This record gives sequence, structure tokens and C-alpha cells, in this order.
Amino acid sequence: MSIDVPNTRRAKAQAKGPFGSVGKILDELDDRLGVAKGGRTFMDKIFPDHWSFMLGEIALYSFVILLVTGVFLTLYYIPSSDLVTYHGSYLPLVGQRVSEAYASTVNLSFAVRGGLLMRQMHHWSCDIFVGAIVVHMARVFFTGAFRKPRELNWSIGLTLLTLAIINGFLGYSLPDDLISGTGIRIAYSIVLAMPVVGTYIAFWLFGGNFPGTAIIPRFFILHVLIIPGIMLALVGAHLYLLVRQKHTQFPGKGRTEKNVVGSPMFPVFMAKTTGFLFIVGGITALLAAFAQINPIWQFGPYEASRISYAVQPDLYMAFLDGALRIWPSWTFHSFGHTIPFEVFVPAIVFPGLVFGLCYMWPTIERIFTKDNELHNLLDRPINRPKRTAAGVSVGMLIVVLFFASSTDVIANFFHVSLEEVLIAMRVLVVITPLISYPVTYKICKELQAAKGGKRKVANTVTRSEEGEYVATPAPVYVDDLHSDLAAMQVPRFIAPAPDDVEEGSGTRVVER
Amino acid sequence: MKTSLLKRSLILPTLALISLGPILLFVGGANASGHTPYQTTRKNAGTPNSSTVKKNKSGVVISYGNSAIMYNAPSSTLDTLGEALFMQNCASCHGTKANGVPANGVAAAYPDLVGLGPATIDFWIDSGRMPAADPRVVEAPRRFARLTPDQALAVAAWVNSLDPSLPDIPTPNLKNANAADGAALFALNCAACHTIEGDGDALANSTFAPSLRDIPAFQVVEAIRTGPGDMPRFTGNLSDYQVRDIVDYVTTEIQHPQNPGGLGLGGLGPVAEGFVALLLGVGVLALVGFWVGERE
Amino acid sequence: MSDHEQRTPVELQGLAANDPHLQPASKNPKQAERVIAVCFVLGIIFVAAFGACFWINAQPWKIGATLGAGLSFLGIGLVAWGKYLMPQGPFVEDRHDLANSTDDRDAFAAAIVQRGGDVVKRRKLLGGLLGAGMGIFGVVAMFPLLRSLGPLPKKTLDSTDWRKGTYAVDITGRRVRVGDLAVGSIVTVYPEGTQNTDRGQAVDQTVLIRISNENFTTMKGRENWGPQGYLAYSKLCTHLGCPVGLYEQELQVLVCPCHQSTFNVLNGAEPEFGPAPRPLPQLPLYVDASGYIRAQSDFDQPVGPGFWERS
Repeated sequence: MSIDVPNTRRAKAQAKGPFGSVGKILDELDDRLGVAKGGRTFMDKIFPDHWSFMLGEIALYSFVILLVTGVFLTLYYIPSSDLVTYHGSYLPLVGQRVSEAYASTVNLSFAVRGGLLMRQMHHWSCDIFVGAIVVHMARVFFTGAFRKPRELNWSIGLTLLTLAIINGFLGYSLPDDLISGTGIRIAYSIVLAMPVVGTYIAFWLFGGNFPGTAIIPRFFILHVLIIPGIMLALVGAHLYLLVRQKHTQFPGKGRTEKNVVGSPMFPVFMAKTTGFLFIVGGITALLAAFAQINPIWQFGPYEASRISYAVQPDLYMAFLDGALRIWPSWTFHSFGHTIPFEVFVPAIVFPGLVFGLCYMWPTIERIFTKDNELHNLLDRPINRPKRTAAGVSVGMLIVVLFFASSTDVIANFFHVSLEEVLIAMRVLVVITPLISYPVTYKICKELQAAKGGKRKVANTVTRSEEGEYVATPAPVYVDDLHSDLAAMQVPRFIAPAPDDVEEGSGTRVVER
Repeated sequence: MKTSLLKRSLILPTLALISLGPILLFVGGANASGHTPYQTTRKNAGTPNSSTVKKNKSGVVISYGNSAIMYNAPSSTLDTLGEALFMQNCASCHGTKANGVPANGVAAAYPDLVGLGPATIDFWIDSGRMPAADPRVVEAPRRFARLTPDQALAVAAWVNSLDPSLPDIPTPNLKNANAADGAALFALNCAACHTIEGDGDALANSTFAPSLRDIPAFQVVEAIRTGPGDMPRFTGNLSDYQVRDIVDYVTTEIQHPQNPGGLGLGGLGPVAEGFVALLLGVGVLALVGFWVGERE
Repeated sequence: MSDHEQRTPVELQGLAANDPHLQPASKNPKQAERVIAVCFVLGIIFVAAFGACFWINAQPWKIGATLGAGLSFLGIGLVAWGKYLMPQGPFVEDRHDLANSTDDRDAFAAAIVQRGGDVVKRRKLLGGLLGAGMGIFGVVAMFPLLRSLGPLPKKTLDSTDWRKGTYAVDITGRRVRVGDLAVGSIVTVYPEGTQNTDRGQAVDQTVLIRISNENFTTMKGRENWGPQGYLAYSKLCTHLGCPVGLYEQELQVLVCPCHQSTFNVLNGAEPEFGPAPRPLPQLPLYVDASGYIRAQSDFDQPVGPGFWERS
């Protein structure tokens, strides 16, 4: 600029332009990176506000908490199976020979300032993470948000769920305590059960026969580096697709397949979502403060000939444990070979089928509905009774298996015979999905207001001045009346320069 | 196009029949045992491997043990009281001669109590399992004790007088106990039934391993040494020092866990944690999300 | 110099400053502002308290409670600010078609298909060789990831360390004598010398129970396997390898705590209930002249869960 600026405050402020120092910094950024247009577009991005869209954010922010607390934990945990003698503040362990992994975790819990809180926050937020992913996945499924063009995002999300479950298993196995060590033994046997290649893969994964000394360091690297790295990339892709394809929205007043109605990224959505991040962190910290989780010092170190009763895996693995408990002992043994179907089917085939079905669902639905259109508006679950019933059916199967992993706890709690509980679970796991489907279907049909549905539509009765009563059908979804305002474009704060502006008046002109 | 009523009414029964086959196969895939319990001969409770063994004039062992646990036979002065209490509370099932033959019942319908040692009798009465509330149940559960500790001792004294045996009533001395050894022994020997946190759990055929939260120290020794009911007994393979260590661990960490991380959630482990995470964690956060978002 | 204000007046295109879209959603913004301010103040107090608790190394629940309360209040305040005090909208954005025009799509497809086709058509041999090279490399690239990780299984799973004459010892290394166990007792035993090794614990672990005072036969061919009522079974469950440590002496069953497989002790640990497919292998025992319990040989079959090569 060649304008001479007089040395007064007002002149200097004017010379900075209408947006002050911040504007000058942004100008410099734009000179180097060209971010002005893209940044403005990004900040104008509209996010629909429905509460069910918050569920994915619970998962995302739990992931953030996992990363932050996880970094703290890696600074103190020692991933080694070498034996050391424990000398610390927990008396029942003093003098016992334990692995370094176990000793460092106990030390982290008792001797490191804030260590127990961080450990518990990490573990609680992992349980919340997987639970939130499942709830979010259910929302996406029941509202049909996985349809074109979002099938890829559905697959990415499913992969994130799988990786979250695996990483959770690896994570709670790291302290090498009695209960998680038992879980590792079971995992080894499941790998062994694979036909033809089982023994090879098991020996390669573990560096030999169970337990070996390689498994803890390998689990560690998988848990803190490899899988979180993949997950970060996938979360990035998940969010990028979300921004590029824009979020779906429920049908309602002013909403079409061709627009998005909601609040802009900056400042409204950013405020709400950052606040939600803090709340997720706060609730996790409160849980970690008041509810103890995974007290490994009570379990003692893992030794292969020790076992405890009432050992269940964490909630996200429980459905597999339930399947293993209730599946009968049908094994195959012939021609000099054994195929342990009693392990192979519930632990490998069954989850493979369930996850495979989930991955294939967008394709399956496209085949059945013959619908290849783009969908940006969501379905109400009751308007798609078959899909909703199928989802509830499979969901109930998983829920029953979740309960089936606690057969002994249930038998003890209600003081009934263990065998009866198991047989009841076997009956339930077959009957519950079979019954859920028609029941859900019926309920959806009853609630529907669309053609063929049985829902009665309300009438609004108005009285004219002459005294005549007129009944008009009320809008089907009364919630659509929430907003009295029609949606409008995010306001543009800059007017194009009028033609009669003098040069050098301090007005910044922007070409749009 | 409506399916005819006949077709619709046939679909459900057909489905039921088709699914019934695999269901039956699946459900019946395990056959619960039908064999009768094998009555163990319990009159060999192991020899005392202790440093001090005191016998009375007739050569019957009246006390043995070491600095960890002292075992004492109940005094014979309690015999008359014990006999009276026995006839009043126990003879209707166990018979007037304590040999399991009740007055007008089937022979050997109830356990023969002779020669089992005073610690056995004392344990069953002191833990409230006997007198049994319902004699027909598979195993008698722990209840409040119906006889006082002195009365239990008297009954034990009288039954023991019929055929003096071991083990005697233990008195553990926990002063020099090593809780770490106790923790290791507990994990190897006891956790398989009682769980590592000592909460007990359901076993086969409607039997239950009880919780260890409320049991006094000497009863722990009695249970370990006598093996009541389905619990195995630990005799020569656990020394008195090892049993003392286990008792110390049970009465400290098991019964009074430090729980520095907060509420213990009933010691149920991941089952309880899963419920709390889903209901309190995800549930509360979903409710918060309900407030953050809009309703349309 | 003009008479303009310090800043050029900002003109909102098509939108008045008092448009309802720009108004806060709250009916009483001043009240909302006060509540949010209280939330923030509480948040600051609790977060500072968290710092203090951490500094003095207070109990974990105090550190966690202050952190949790602080973050929650700050978060609630921020959400309420966004929800009640910021422009309520709603605003709209158009979705532009993701798909490009037909011309663009054709050009994209042409770039790949035609250019690629031209190149490969003329050099089919090279294309084939490259494909073969990539394929083979893809396969052998897996080798470092798999084969270097561990040894080949060979016959490792087929046997344990029990041999003819091996002494049975408990976890302290003490040899078990015939008088040690009463009827109804159980102890976990290992081959002498292995009790503190990985292999001893994980593979060789065996339960020793005494069910009688006389020799006991569990099934035909095992007449001398149970001297003086001592029976030994592999502790590895045949379902998934958990230690079967739960012994019920009146029911005479061994129950695996993991998935509740029940084994009948009297007939060779036949599974009676639950998912275990095979009986626990029985270890043949004998009592030597000094009264020690020793093994006659190794188990007659591989111990533990099933695998492909298990014949």
C-alpha cells in the first residue's frame, strides 16, 4: 500500500480495514494458502440439529478422551512379560512374582498421581465408545441413512466398530491380570480352532505355544499404534464424507432432498459440539471418580493354572462369550483331523455372518426395494416396517447373547439352577428374534399414518365467524410445527462495493 | 392380493414345526447328568502334621497345631448339654444315634455324622446351615445361626464323643500371616468356585458356592479342613501356615476391599460394568444429547 | 478523508438486523445469560479445584469428581450459549449434485479406459508380466508379516512334559505323597521342575483328586491308573483351554468356570453338560515304594482344545 497513514489511532485503525487485526492475519493466510473461499464455505456449512444426530458425537468424543487418557497411560505402562517382584503399596501383592506389565499397571493405579483416575476414565470411555457406536449405528440403520450415496460411510463405520471392539479387547488384556489373561487363553484356542491353518496362525501370532512372552508387547503395539492409526484415518474419512455429502435430515417443514436446514458450523454448531465434548469428558470423569472398573490388583497376576469363576469379558465381547456358552458341543472328528465346530461356529462363523450381513445390508436393501435413487431425507422407522423389524430382530439376538454370557451370575442372583438358565438361554436365542420380527412389524403398522397404516390422524377443528365448525386434518407430525420460521440462507455480511465509493476512503472492496 | 385364511393359518404352525426340530436338537444337545451322587467315605480326614500333639489318658488326640492354628477338641463336660440339644434339634433327621437313620424314616436318608470330627459339626451349625430349613433342598444354604456358638460346640462335643475323630475346632492366629501368600493360594485353590473377589457363584446341579463376605476366621479354617458339602477338603496339601495365610487374605482384602477406584459394583466384574456403562454412560449422554439437539 | 465511521458500516444482504432468524432462541436472553454465567463460574471453580486436588495428590475420587463437575459445567454453559443465545436460525444450504456432468464423466472414463487400453493393447506381454510380478510380490510380501512372527507348530501341541516316573509336585514344588490327600481333596500338580515355567503352568497343569481309599477304575483299560483312589486329569478344558479348577466332591464333577462344561470324574471325565466336546485326558498314576505319586507316562492324547491336526 502506498497510502501514507497519519500517525493517529483512528487513522491506523482505519488503515487496518473493516475487520481489524484479525482481518489482516486472515489476509496473510489467504495470500499463502488460499483459504478464504474454502474457509467461508466451511463455516457456512449447515448441520441439522436433531438430537439423534448427537449419538455419533458421543462416540467421536469418547474416542478423543481415549486418545488423551491413553497417551497418559503409555507413559507409565511397561509392555513386558518379564517377571519382577512387586514392591509397592498393595500388601497382598508384595513379594509376588508378577509380569512387568502387571506391576506397572498396579503401580500406575496406586503410585502415580492421577493414574487410577486416568486408567478408569480410559476404560469407562472405551465401554461408552462402543455402546455409543452401536446406538449411533442403530440410528443410521433405522432411519435409512446408509442408502446411496452413503454406503461407503456405512462400511467405514462398521469397520470402526470392529476395530473398536478388537482394540478394547487388546487394551484390557494389557495389564496381564487373571481375568484378562483367561480371555487371551480363550482367544488363542479360538484361533487354534480354525481348520487347516489354525495352529500355524496361533503359533505365529503368539510366537509359539500359549502363553509365551511375545503376546503382551505385540498387543501393546497393536493397541496404541497400529489400530488407533487406522481408526484415526477412518474417522477422518468418515467425517470428510459427512462434510462432503452433507448430513441427512428428517423430512419436515422446508426440508427437501436438495437442501439442508439447521445451524451453521460457526458459531452455533461449534459452540454446541464443543460444549458436548466437555460434557462427555465430564460425565466420563464422574463415572471414573465414583464407579470402580477393572480392579486388577484384586484379580492378581495371570498364571495359566489359576482361574476365577464369574469371568465375563467386557460388554462388547460379551455376545461372543454368550454364543460360546450356549452352542452345543457338536464337534467333528474324522480322517485323522478334528474340526472343533463347538468353537469355530459360535466364535468365528457366527460373528462373520452377523458382520457380513451388516456390511452387505445396503446392497441387500437395494435388491429388495429396487431403489437406486439418492436419498438425503431420512425415513421414520415406523414407515419402513420390514427394515425396522429386521433390525430389531438381529438386535434382540445380540442382546440375548449378551445376557447369555452371564448365565452363572443370573443363576446365582436368582438362585436357580445353572442348567435351567442355560437351557432357557438356548430357547430364548431362537425364539426372541423369531418373535421380535412380527411383533415389531405389527407395531410399526399400527403406528403408521401412511397408506395401509392404522394410525388415526387428528383433526383440527376451527369455528368460523358464522358459527360453522370445520374439521381439517392436522399435520401428521406435530413436531414439524416447532419452527415458526422458514429456513433462510446464512446471512452474507459483506455488501458489494457501491459504484460511487471514493478511492482511499478506507473501504475494502471484495470481488465476489 | 390377500393370502387365504387357510394358508395364513397354516404358516405359523408349519414354521413352528420346522423350527422345533433344530430347537430341540439345540436345546437337548447337552444332557444333564442323571447319576446319583457318590457318597464319599468321609472318615479319613488326614493326619495332623503339626508340631504339638497332645493326647488324653485314653490316647485320644485332644489338641494339636502350631503357632498358626491351634486345634482343640471340645471339652467332654459339654457332652450332656450337647446330647440334649442334639435330640431336640437334629435327631428327627439324623437319628438318635447320629448315624443318619431317623426314627421312622428311610435308613441312611440323611448323612451319618459319626466320625466326621467336631469341626465338621461345628461348621454346619455355626454357619446356620443346620438345622436345615428345608431338608429336601439339594444343599442347605447359609442362614443365621439357630444355636449359639457355645451350643454348637456342645453338639459337636457330643457327636464327637460317639467316635472321636479329627479335625478339631480350630483357632487361627493371624498375627504373622502373609497376605501375599494368602492371595496367591486363594487364587489357585479357592477362586475357581468362590470367584476371585469372594462373591460366590452358581455351580452344577443347583449347588452354589457361597459368598465369603460374612464368614469369621475360624469358620474359614473349618471349611477348608473339613470340606463341607460339595466343597473339597484341603488336608495334607495345605499346611497350617498356608491355611492361616488364606484366612488372613479372606478376612482382610476379600471382606474389606480397599476399592480405591470408587464403588465396587458388587464385585460382579465386567457384567456390572457393562450395565453401568450402557445405562449410566451412554444413557445419560444420550439424554444430554436430547437436550442439546432439537426435537423435530 | 471521508466522514465515515471508524469501520465501514456492514450491510447485511437481504436481512434486517432485527430479523427473527438472528435473534436468540431464548425468550429471556438476559436470564439465560445469567444462568450461563453461573455455569461458567462453577466450571471455573471446579476446574481450579481439580488442579488443587491434583497438586496435593488427593484421593482419586476427589480428583475425578472435580474434573468431572468442572468439565460438565463448562460444557453445559457452552451448549446453552449456542442453543439459547446465538442466532436461532434455522438456516438453509443448498445441496449441489455430487455427480459431475455427463461430459466430465465421459472424459474421466475415457482418460482411464482409452489411455490405459491404448498402452496395454500395444504391450500385452509387458502388462501380463507386470501383473504376474505384482501378484507374486503380493503373496511373498506377507511372509515377513507372518512367518517371522513365530515357529511352526510341528508336534508341540501333541505332548506334555509328563513322562514315566515324573513326580507330581504342587505349586510350591513339594512332591505329593499318598497320605497327603484325604478322600474328597483336590490339588493342582505339575511335573517336577516345571511348576514355575510357562509350559508347566499352561500345558502340563493337572488336577489330582482323591475319590476313595481303594484303587479306582474309571473305564476299561485304565485299571491301574487310579492307585488308592487318586485320579489325575489334565486341567486344560477341552473346550477352550481354561483351567478346570472347580471340583464338587459330592456330585463328583469337575466344572469349568469359563463356560460351565461339566465333567464326570468317575468315568474318565466325560463331559455331561456344556460345550466341551471331549473328556479331559486322564494321567495314569502309580505310587512308588516311598509313597510318592508319580506318572506312568504322558497323557494318551493331546491335552486342551481341539485343532485341525488332532487325530
